[in-house]
Amino acid sequence: MRYSITINGSAKSVDVAPDMPLLWILRDVLGMTGTKFGCGVGVCGACTVLQNGEAVRSCQIAASDANGKRFTTIEGLSRDASHPCQRAWIAEDVAQCGYCQAGMIMTACALLRDKPNPSDADIDAVMSDLVCRCGTYPRIRKAIHLAAKLGAQK
Amino acid sequence: MRRREFLKLSAAGGAALVVGFRIDAEPSSFQPNGWVRIEPGGKIVLTVGKQEMGQGVRTSLPMILADELDADWQSIELLQAEPSPQFQRLGTGGSGSVYGSWKPLRTAGAAARTMLIGAAAAKWNVDAASLRTEKGFVINTKTNERLSYGALASDAAKQPVPAEPKLKAMSELRIVGQRVKKVDAPDVVSGKAIYGIDARMPGMLYASIERPPTVGGTLVKFDATKAMKVRGVRSVVAIKAGVAVVAENSWAAMKGREALAITWEPGPNRAFNSDAHIKALEAAASEPGVTIRKEGEGAAALARAAKTIEARYHYPFYAHAPVEPMNCVASFRDGTCELRVPTQAPNRAQQLVAEFLGIKPENVIVHPTLIGGGFGRRLWIDYAIEAAELSRAIANPVQVLWTRQDDMRHGHFQAASVHQLRAAFDENNAPLFWGHKKVSSYHNLRGAPTAQERADVEYNQDSAWGVYDVPYAFPSIEATYLSIDVPVPIGPWRAVFSPSSTFARECFVDEVAQHLGKDPLQSRLDMLGEPYDITAGSLKIDRTRLRRVLEVVREKSKWGSPLAQGRGRGVACNVYDGDTHIAYVVEVTAHENSVRVDRVVAAVDCGVVINPTGIEQQIEGGIIWGLSSALKGHITFRDGHAEQSTYRDFEVLRMNETPAIEIHIVPSHGEQPFGMGEPPVPPIVPAVVNAIFAATGKRIRALPIRL
Ligand code: FES
Ligand code: FES
Repeated sequence: MRYSITINGSAKSVDVAPDMPLLWILRDVLGMTGTKFGCGVGVCGACTVLQNGEAVRSCQIAASDANGKRFTTIEGLSRDASHPCQRAWIAEDVAQCGYCQAGMIMTACALLRDKPNPSDADIDAVMSDLVCRCGTYPRIRKAIHLAAKLGAQK
Repeated sequence: MRRREFLKLSAAGGAALVVGFRIDAEPSSFQPNGWVRIEPGGKIVLTVGKQEMGQGVRTSLPMILADELDADWQSIELLQAEPSPQFQRLGTGGSGSVYGSWKPLRTAGAAARTMLIGAAAAKWNVDAASLRTEKGFVINTKTNERLSYGALASDAAKQPVPAEPKLKAMSELRIVGQRVKKVDAPDVVSGKAIYGIDARMPGMLYASIERPPTVGGTLVKFDATKAMKVRGVRSVVAIKAGVAVVAENSWAAMKGREALAITWEPGPNRAFNSDAHIKALEAAASEPGVTIRKEGEGAAALARAAKTIEARYHYPFYAHAPVEPMNCVASFRDGTCELRVPTQAPNRAQQLVAEFLGIKPENVIVHPTLIGGGFGRRLWIDYAIEAAELSRAIANPVQVLWTRQDDMRHGHFQAASVHQLRAAFDENNAPLFWGHKKVSSYHNLRGAPTAQERADVEYNQDSAWGVYDVPYAFPSIEATYLSIDVPVPIGPWRAVFSPSSTFARECFVDEVAQHLGKDPLQSRLDMLGEPYDITAGSLKIDRTRLRRVLEVVREKSKWGSPLAQGRGRGVACNVYDGDTHIAYVVEVTAHENSVRVDRVVAAVDCGVVINPTGIEQQIEGGIIWGLSSALKGHITFRDGHAEQSTYRDFEVLRMNETPAIEIHIVPSHGEQPFGMGEPPVPPIVPAVVNAIFAATGKRIRALPIRL
């Protein structure tokens, strides 16, 4: 089946099985490997992308459901790592291995859209659905507070 | 577990100045396995075999070199060495990257600098002593003339290599110790960093492997008819690891795999179950083991004891569960195999893949990639071997990708153990004896150890790490180890043998304090008196450093100040491998049947600090790793396989469970940086357990903690 999906503002037409998750369309069909596979069953959040500004798990969205929709991936946040979340992530030295961070950043973007000035509790409520095995949680929390500030200045 | 460090400099000529050095070498081999290269254009390239897996080596190693070389550390390009006869013993594990690189990198930097100065002195016809260096230039202190390193490179290459270049005094180091940001951060936050899973080769196909449901099970037959009908599936091939479905994308491969009809022979371990294994460990706890360390009279001192206390601790199996599942891209062609692989052990990958394929190691080309979490899992290379085998079978480049379930069930595991602890006191209640017997299982990734190895004290000593190196003063000590073979794969896990031993030891030290009616922190200090330098097995322990970190956490945590009802504080400390000294004070709130870790105060003496941020990250990460093992998931086996398969049933700590973490890096009298990847893990668990005792009066003696 042919599906048309808009990724980072550009329309893509892909011919894939209807049940193929967006994650694999991105990674294996479109060659956009910034979005990561961690579990494939919706529990780790590594595959998170934005759909109309909302965080969704791309391993759980079938091609047939993605059809006609618009998504933003980590590659589409900015050209030069200048998005407030990216800047904050660098400033707070968040990443260890870095593998989970695309999902963390995309989730944080959605959180900040809903709550431009989140409390620790707001952050925990959303970010505790994601797994970082390296244990970068304290820095992610700080980075989200910083991104909130950077975003407000923008 | 001591790491060695040897150094041999050499220079290779040409237009560039190239200084070779050697990290982690056997004394017999002086082939360089690292290079500093200064090009005529001024570019400085450092080539080393250390993988980045979150520990920040891509940042800290250039800092060390730049400081001796007097160059801008950010301008140094770091190249990942690929294994070859010239690059042997590359490897990243045992927290040794910075430790083992410190002296070689500094010496190489100092040698290059000396040669650059020599070249400038010849050019200007002046005494080398009148020259100095700064940020990539040699400067004539009299005339203020300057020459860049690039301009001097080809002349410098003709200078003699100094046999023992003079290193800067610690007080002269400017870059080492600075708080800097990791170099790869911009790539990571833009999705540009390429991990193993992101590696691609032209024409590459994607594979997923259905593995025997029991450890040691074998394939009887399979029917691929349905699988071949799944859109995108190209072929189905039986390999040693199982039945591989090869497809145009990973999804098709996984779907095809679900459609396979396979008959397995469950094999000899079909009934293996962890409860029975733990009973076997327990039964063995009353058998004699191999004595690793004996002080004074050893266990014979028990005969004179007026009072003996005893406790048994249980430690379960764990998986690594890095967020990036195992994967490898392999391309076998014309007798040569090329691998793109996230590995901590590129040489081992080269060696074992070559052995498996029956080709020469130089015909296996290994390109190590970034690693999405190592933790010891990627010291083993099972996933590289199967990718190589599959690529040869289908005559096409292929990526093998494990699912999360594969990753939880088919990797190697941290061994379960049982610990028998005993302390005896004389009629005045003075400590007489400390006994710690650990019953666990040898690592078996390379097969079970030989009878000779089993009887060998040194061989057993590794497994009894954390048992024999008890730092506390008891007139008599006996540390023993006993292994019960286990059919499931057992291998390195973050901090290897130490977490289980340190958990049992540091909890039982609290029980000793309780018996003595002493404060647990003061009681530890009392047992860390003179002599300050002791030898424990093959390790030297400096008690003054351990005392120091304990004193720091005592002060910073306001140890002894009152806490609300239901809350408690616990302490634990450890000297990791004789090197890194850490103490934690943990505060918990314990409810009816739940426990929350509120705060951790850490003090660390890790010798020379390269980048404080890197150290803090490793401590945070190590604490969170340890808390996962204390409070969250563990692995159980039933009917010959692990029962857990995702982060849902093997849970790891999440952000809302993460305590406030406060880190104090204690000024050190060490002149060497020590590892930080593993040391933060072992003492955190006992500190939590001890805090729960303080809060509730309940002694937890089994992990994970269930109140
Ligand atoms: S890969 Fe989608 S939630 Fe884990
Ligand atoms: S940084 Fe490694 S998993 Fe999060």
